[in-house]
Amino acid sequence: MRRVSKTSPRSSIYNANVYGLDTKDIWTCLTCGLCPMECPQQVDFLSFIKEEREGKQPLEVAHLGVFTELADLSSKLDGTAKPESGDSKYGYFPGCVDSLGLFLHDVKTDFGEITTSSLKLLDKIGIKPKVLQMKCCGHDVLWQGKKDVFDRLKNYNKKYIKESGIETLVTSCAECYRTFSKDYDLGIKVVHTSELLDKLGLKINADVTYHDPCRLGRHMGVYDAPRKALTSNGANIKEMEHSKENALCCGVSSFMNCNEQTKALRIARMNEAEATGAKTLITTCSKCLAHFNCLKTEKDAVKKYDFDVVDLSVFLARQLEAGK
Amino acid sequence: MSGEASTAPKGNGWEPNILAFCCNWCSYAGADLAGVSRFQYPPTVKILRVMCSSRVEPAFILKALKDGADGVLVAGCHIGDCHYIDGNKNAEVRINNTKKALAKLGLDKRLRLEWISASEGLRFSEVIRDFTEEIKKLGQNPVKEVK
Repeated sequence: MRRVSKTSPRSSIYNANVYGLDTKDIWTCLTCGLCPMECPQQVDFLSFIKEEREGKQPLEVAHLGVFTELADLSSKLDGTAKPESGDSKYGYFPGCVDSLGLFLHDVKTDFGEITTSSLKLLDKIGIKPKVLQMKCCGHDVLWQGKKDVFDRLKNYNKKYIKESGIETLVTSCAECYRTFSKDYDLGIKVVHTSELLDKLGLKINADVTYHDPCRLGRHMGVYDAPRKALTSNGANIKEMEHSKENALCCGVSSFMNCNEQTKALRIARMNEAEATGAKTLITTCSKCLAHFNCLKTEKDAVKKYDFDVVDLSVFLARQLEAGK
Repeated sequence: MSGEASTAPKGNGWEPNILAFCCNWCSYAGADLAGVSRFQYPPTVKILRVMCSSRVEPAFILKALKDGADGVLVAGCHIGDCHYIDGNKNAEVRINNTKKALAKLGLDKRLRLEWISASEGLRFSEVIRDFTEEIKKLGQNPVKEVK
């Protein structure tokens, strides 16, 4: 965020904790986790932001808060879905890809394909998971300061997971992965699909570049698994100028702050991807996918990008279909 | 909006509480015509005028349902009659998508999209009557009040 606007983590903390001021800095933060990476004192800035936002009104929520409203609505309903029976020890949670597809229909991305592709790939490596029909994981509402809504969702989901009797929760979304690992205390193993896909035995032979989503990379420290999933299947990764710990943010997290500054960040990231010369930009977060594709489909875009932006599991499943 | 929706009497005296978004050019005029022509319809509906049916964001509908509205009606001009040429076509896409999202929560029958022109006062009253009956069959909005 500092690249494009005058924001400072130090002044955010000072204003909130020392002077007791209401400050918009806590809302413009993208929670991408780049500040704690640089901090010599290892201040946990993300936890500060999360706590400081609790119970306060967000400054700006993108898409008029439709995803927040949906999560809030579902949190107030009694869930009727019962877990699938069966003795599979794996559970797969698709996340909010369906509602992303429904409410972001302008972006022209088939979000549902992430789910079908992930299931296809898991099937290929011999995992037949139960598909979990839970409520939203609550990532967005948690980072928007709505702790009460998050707690309701969390209580429901925890009960659901317990009833389903699974021992490993697989998710294809970086945000769900972070939330289930760090903000829930499930007591079961949580894995991201990218950590399972290195033994597919594909021979892709294409140049790709990989964007580290903040939730998977800096928040959870998973940098190598998705890269290994690509290289062990024959893809050639061309790294961007900023990658791994220093990866730039896609511009928006938890559907907050879609404005000029965040769009500038997005353009910066897309330019880096273009500079690698790869024809495919791969990411592992459905939000990053939505934002990059949004920039690509923008009507009055300053610049047109001619590479594809796809999710890792979609990319691998397409290659599997093509018989490589 | 939230305060009004939650004051619906509970229990036996329960009457549906429907929020209707009516477009300025057709449906609102249709509601007006229903009024001046004295067509009877149940007082379960609260009409909110918007300039076009495509002004109604999915977020508005979800918020209304979240805050306790028993039904949401979105009414606009017939296809081809939109004052803004193709606003109602966009509204149709949006509302259908919202319906699909609500279907997962079991609330899709509480959302309805209707085309009512300025000359269809009778149709307006029929739509309200019909929707009220349907909501009565469905019962109260299942959202729990959270303190």
